[in-house]
Amino acid sequence: MANPVLKPVAGILVLGALFALPRFVDSPYALHMMILLFMSISQGQSWNILGGYAGQHSVGHAAYFGVGAYTTMMLMHAQQVAPWLGAWAGVGMVAVVALAIGSICFRLRGPYFVLASIAVAEILRLSAINLTGLTNGAEGILATDLPPFKIGATVITDFSTKVPFYHAGLALALATITITYGVQHSKLGYFLQAIREDQDAAHSLGIPISRYKNIALVLSAALTSLAGSFYGVYVGFVDPPTVLGLDVSVQIMLICIIGGMGTLWGPVLGSLVLVPLSEALRSNLITEALVKAGVVNADSRTGLFLKENLSHAHVLLYGVLVVLVILFMPDGLMGFFRKLASRRQREAV
Amino acid sequence: MAVFMQSFLSGILIGGVYALIGIGLTLIFGVMRIINFGHGDILMVGMYLTYVLFTWLHIDPFVSVLITFPLMFLFGGFLQKVFINRVLHAVAQNQILLTIGLGLVMSNTAMLIFTSDYKILTTSYSSSTLQVGGGVTVSTPLLISFAITAAVTAALYWFLLKTDTGQAIRATAQDREAAQLMGINVKRMSILAFGLGSALAGTAGALISPTYYIFPQVGGGFTLKAFVITVLGGMGSVVGATLGGILIGITESLSAVYISSGWKDVVVFVLFLLVLLFRPSGLMGKSRT
Repeated sequence: MANPVLKPVAGILVLGALFALPRFVDSPYALHMMILLFMSISQGQSWNILGGYAGQHSVGHAAYFGVGAYTTMMLMHAQQVAPWLGAWAGVGMVAVVALAIGSICFRLRGPYFVLASIAVAEILRLSAINLTGLTNGAEGILATDLPPFKIGATVITDFSTKVPFYHAGLALALATITITYGVQHSKLGYFLQAIREDQDAAHSLGIPISRYKNIALVLSAALTSLAGSFYGVYVGFVDPPTVLGLDVSVQIMLICIIGGMGTLWGPVLGSLVLVPLSEALRSNLITEALVKAGVVNADSRTGLFLKENLSHAHVLLYGVLVVLVILFMPDGLMGFFRKLASRRQREAV
Repeated sequence: MAVFMQSFLSGILIGGVYALIGIGLTLIFGVMRIINFGHGDILMVGMYLTYVLFTWLHIDPFVSVLITFPLMFLFGGFLQKVFINRVLHAVAQNQILLTIGLGLVMSNTAMLIFTSDYKILTTSYSSSTLQVGGGVTVSTPLLISFAITAAVTAALYWFLLKTDTGQAIRATAQDREAAQLMGINVKRMSILAFGLGSALAGTAGALISPTYYIFPQVGGGFTLKAFVITVLGGMGSVVGATLGGILIGITESLSAVYISSGWKDVVVFVLFLLVLLFRPSGLMGKSRT
């Protein structure tokens, strides 16, 4: 299966196709879906470094996503700082926040770590609501005027279409996958996995536990922050619940749970499942499909009810998926496929 | 001084309900070592149950506790038997995720049935107050709910301390394997504990429904509050959760008056982090390994 020549060639072909895609597809909706997919991959992959490889299951990643998004948007709104510069200020802010969080949360283990990570994210969300002078409170920050992106004097893009966002998103997703690959195949990755498997054993072997946990946290947080900045700029609006809420943390984690934690392709698989499904629910495609299939009548009470409410309840699907995945494939899709593959191998022998 | 007494008193009254929520969570944790992240959503189910009973059958929310408690007990037992039981020996993060998932299913099903509109349950006494003296007044529904909370808590203490089943639950919490060796059916105790925890959360939901907005996402805030209360009191300690609930009620109420109502939850979370850092075993907890 793993042909040494075929694999890189196929990879390059897929990459080329992905970069060239906007030339052939001009439906803004299709591009929008791809952008959401890239963002989801970046979020999941960032969480994966800390949660999947180091085994520190943070349920507070909204803190980094939100601080990144807010920093970039505040700089753009108040100081007219271009977002591709502001995003790095966001990374700096998030690194400081992450180290502060790490110094509190990493003293705790297991459920206590989870609870502390939630508490910190909640403190940040409530602060964003209350510090109205800085963050505009619950109303959020609206900033849609992007300066044109120039290299030298040549204008590369003026952001009038979704295409530049598509390329930026793709680059971000590829960067997070590459970084995760790098982590997985380095000393850092082995140390992290040793900490995940048995912290005390890792400690007794001389691995500086808290230094490596903090490295994983800062790396994971910085990448999450970039995803947050990208989200803020793409949507043009941030407010406390959409970037700092507990839902955000849960959704980031879900991408990995469904795909498979601690695997390179888990977050990609998870995003491929989650993004289309939740968009289908949000945009009422499922109701339309049910109507078309003749299962429900569009004008009947059920039809109208579904049309009215199903799109609001798209998170219901997340809930059902989590329950099913935990009960029936606790190692995610990647674990499920691996099990299938090894069973097939055994049968072949 | 009157302002202080006023907020101190209402803090204690709200704290009673918090204690009920916290006791439920701590009971579940004690017996199964599972942190129920769907606890607030179970409370939300209790609120909607009360709302339905009130609007359709015109049953007073405080009387409806008599119906809510057993129904929520069955609901909790069902959740335990069908879902939680399967992950009792799974890794901790899967247990946490399962309860998060169940919570999401509950809150979004509520949204599908009742939409995300805020519902208000208006009783004849919803906004009435009672003079206590010295210029201090208390809200009547809060006072009634505190009285019911106290009665429920007393009954629970009696059940846990004096009855055989209660002692079996406590034995299971203390040492699951030893309890099993003594012939206690620990699986049944787990169902009982989850049922009781859910019944307490549902009761708390019924009790606060005359004074709170009812909406599908209301649970999240209460889940977090329940964690703060149980960690403060010591995970697994019923007495600790009772004290923790009242302490959090007072803290919230005082910081709403002396700092601002927007920051009161921040104060609670900061307190939580401080407890986690400096006394992770809580006020009443013994350190466990």
